[in-house]
Amino acid sequence: MNWHDVLTAMLPEHILLAGMVLLLCLEIASGKDRDGFFVALLAVAAAAVAACALFAQGYAGSPFPGHFSVGPMTSLPKAALLALTLPVLLISRDDFAESRYYVLLLSSLYGACLLTSSDSFLTLFLGIELMSLPVYVLVLLAFLRPESTEAALKYLVLGGAATATLLMGASLLYGASGSLGIIAFTDALSSSQPLATGGAVLVVAALLLKAAIVPFHAWAPDAYEGASVPVTAYMATVIKAGVLLAALRLFGTTEIAGPMVGVLAVLPLVSMAWGNLTAMRQTSFRRMIAYSSIAHAGYLYYAFLGAGPGRYEAIVFYLVVYGVMNLLAFVALPRSVDDARQDHIDALKGLFHRQPVAAVVIAAAMLSLAGIPPLPGFAAKFLIFRNVLAAGYTAYAVLGLVASYLGIYFYLRVVQYMFMSAEEPTAVRGRPRRLALIATLLCLVPAILLSFFPGWLLDRL
Amino acid sequence: MADSTLLNLVLWLPVLGIGAITLLPRGRDSLVRGLSLAVMLAQLALTAILYLHFDPSVSGLQFATSQPWIREWGIEYRIGLDGINVLLVALTAFLGPLVVAGAFSAIQKDVKLFYAMVFFIQFAMLGTFLAQDLFLFYVFWEAMLIPMFLIIGIWGGERRIYATLKFVLYTAFGSILMLAAVIYLVYSLHQRTGIASFAFADLYGSGLPLQTQMWLLAAFGLSFAIKVPIVPLHTWLPDAHVEAPTAGSVILAGVLLKMGTYGFMKLGFPLFPDATRAFTPVLMTLAVISIVYGACLALVQNDIKKIIAYSSISHLGYVMLGLVSLDLVGIQGAIIQMVSHGLVAGGLFLMVGMIYERCHTRDLAAYGGLAKLLPVFSVFFTVLTLASIGLPTTSGFTGEFMALLGAFNAAWPLHEAGYNLPLALAVIAVSGVVLGALYMLRLAQQLLFGKARAPHQPFADLDTRERAILVAIVVAVFAIGLYPEEPLRKTELAAREYQQIVMGAQVDQESLP
Repeated sequence: MNWHDVLTAMLPEHILLAGMVLLLCLEIASGKDRDGFFVALLAVAAAAVAACALFAQGYAGSPFPGHFSVGPMTSLPKAALLALTLPVLLISRDDFAESRYYVLLLSSLYGACLLTSSDSFLTLFLGIELMSLPVYVLVLLAFLRPESTEAALKYLVLGGAATATLLMGASLLYGASGSLGIIAFTDALSSSQPLATGGAVLVVAALLLKAAIVPFHAWAPDAYEGASVPVTAYMATVIKAGVLLAALRLFGTTEIAGPMVGVLAVLPLVSMAWGNLTAMRQTSFRRMIAYSSIAHAGYLYYAFLGAGPGRYEAIVFYLVVYGVMNLLAFVALPRSVDDARQDHIDALKGLFHRQPVAAVVIAAAMLSLAGIPPLPGFAAKFLIFRNVLAAGYTAYAVLGLVASYLGIYFYLRVVQYMFMSAEEPTAVRGRPRRLALIATLLCLVPAILLSFFPGWLLDRL
Repeated sequence: MADSTLLNLVLWLPVLGIGAITLLPRGRDSLVRGLSLAVMLAQLALTAILYLHFDPSVSGLQFATSQPWIREWGIEYRIGLDGINVLLVALTAFLGPLVVAGAFSAIQKDVKLFYAMVFFIQFAMLGTFLAQDLFLFYVFWEAMLIPMFLIIGIWGGERRIYATLKFVLYTAFGSILMLAAVIYLVYSLHQRTGIASFAFADLYGSGLPLQTQMWLLAAFGLSFAIKVPIVPLHTWLPDAHVEAPTAGSVILAGVLLKMGTYGFMKLGFPLFPDATRAFTPVLMTLAVISIVYGACLALVQNDIKKIIAYSSISHLGYVMLGLVSLDLVGIQGAIIQMVSHGLVAGGLFLMVGMIYERCHTRDLAAYGGLAKLLPVFSVFFTVLTLASIGLPTTSGFTGEFMALLGAFNAAWPLHEAGYNLPLALAVIAVSGVVLGALYMLRLAQQLLFGKARAPHQPFADLDTRERAILVAIVVAVFAIGLYPEEPLRKTELAAREYQQIVMGAQVDQESLP
């Protein structure tokens, strides 16, 4: 083991760890709840910078051969995950001041970073679990309404089921191949051994469950609604991205063939259609975003149908765009007297007259999620469907596009509420908080850059 | 290249306009209006310079810019003027200041947002006409939805939400299938030649098999046909027109509807020439149905805006007829008819808006004898009515006459060869002219003559601003009607090239049905 490699390659993770330790020490030392906001913000920002630096240098190394490796293709997604957490942190302060929130968030983030670099099922499992476990607590932590308990429990039980499935799959794969390396998964895809195929199917099922793909999606709406705004934002962007990056890590550039095509085409397609259709009927904003995220998970899994080499580009670009635009909506969301009222979609009525900037920003986010150009969501969707079509799945591409059309209505409905409806008499008139404004700006700059110069990011992928 | 800078400036000026009015302080509505008008006038002036310097004897793009945009996918920011889009760009720039000025009194709510959206749609429309890269074209094409959604939805009439959602969902459905076709088309080009390019010039003459061409043309065509709109895909139009504010109706009728016919002319037909010829009887039939059915519907409406909305369906049917005739006269007639309809229908919608601001109803039965109450209004209304009917010396005559002539030119040889459908369709299309006279004269007669009555009297006749707007339109209508050589000269070469691409591409006749 090369200590220098361990230190450099895992620098982002080390910084996060240092942040967590510091937060815990400070809390123990002071003996009371402390505001962990600044330490956490600094740690995440520093880790993001470290990941960017690793990417810019083109650093590649494997401090733990066979388990953990770093290269430009892992540093960039890692940097994106860390950067996406910054706006989440900025809007967290009103809901969570105590440092345990930030410790939990940082450890979840640590897990997400770990899994993007994992080479073996051991690290992958560690990463996924470390990413998910703190979130079960985070959902409950705000305890804004009684439903939060139910949400956290549902999330915990189904998350546990996913964990068990993943473990079972990994052990079957180990049994078939005698190796813990994730390469065993891609080998199993083309294998005719029942043990290996069974293992691969279980692993895929776990990944679909974690990403809330129909029919494994039922936990998402409850968990999203029951959590608080920052935690939902975190789940919808960073956790979802983490799961997809884990899937990307597993599939690598292996072409999908055989019955797996059916799984990776039909289930995402149903997710798109079902997510988009069900979102139309929601009255809770976060629930609506949950269904929207089910549909988006469908688009993302569609990317695996495409040819191997283009997959990384399509998925990472989509995740960055989707994350930025989703966060843009969350950070600009107006505050209200209580969570239930803030979450109700009626709270957005007439928003343009109260907070024009927030309304325009949320509208841009919604239209981007709907995939309407010139917003960046369009380029992201275009890339995925181009790859699917280029791989020869013309019918699936057309069906997917039609399914994505179903989503336009409910995104437009949000815009309609903000711009065309009379104001709710109970609406709270208030100026957005300073931190939320900074967070908005932090998302707005990449959103504008990605709208006009998507090529800038694509060149780097 | 100073030339390309000028064209870029014309395109991006509305974006500067958005930036400028966003920075203005809240509550300074008159300043916003003035600034918007100034920007639009500047754009018109620059476009006029471009128009005058446009050389009709040069084939291909002029004032072109070509910059890599998304290098990896072969997407370029590629814009330029050619004979097909030059008149439509001029029309868009011409209607811009009129739309802005026409909304001075009508729009009192969220003024800043309104003018920002007018600039946004102006930008998107100009971009759609100027784009010479399929990806760029699609971006502009879809981007038009956003401002139109807001313009109808915020400043529209009572059923505005229904109308605007219908408009967006209708048009977005067409676009989503077009997107699939765009991806497929570019991918197949890449497959065959190894070129990853979205440039129109690279995509023309694709030489795809007929079967594939038919599917792709159907996907592109659906999107364009919804926008035109061609019967039976027209049902969004009356709702959108009736509920939209005046400015929205003028933009819709004036420019937006031309997107569909322009799309057919620039993309649909030249990209898939074999399929176009195979589909010609279908397209021609649909065009004639649009002409007659639109006119019949216009005949029985009692809402003034609906009459003009349905008349638009009928008038754009002539454009389609001219385009699919593949006869040089017909093609040029189609282009003139696009411009003419933009001016006439735009002007009529502006006039309906003026009367609506005074009387607050669009019900035809509420009016009568306005010739006595509003003499100036009535003069302008009569002129535009006659232009809509297609009276000689007005632009409407030039466009319709040439489109019909083209249809007959194309049909006659076929008739002599024993194939009578085109001739029959052309004859039926002529009846649209008669029906056009019927519904427009019915409208004018009810509105202007008879016993003088109108709700909310007394009211003033047109003021200077309104007169200036209408004078501009009437002058343009007569200019095209009396001197059609000028615009025809600008478009002739491009029309010829279009004709050659669609007719002359290599085909084995056996593959045609």
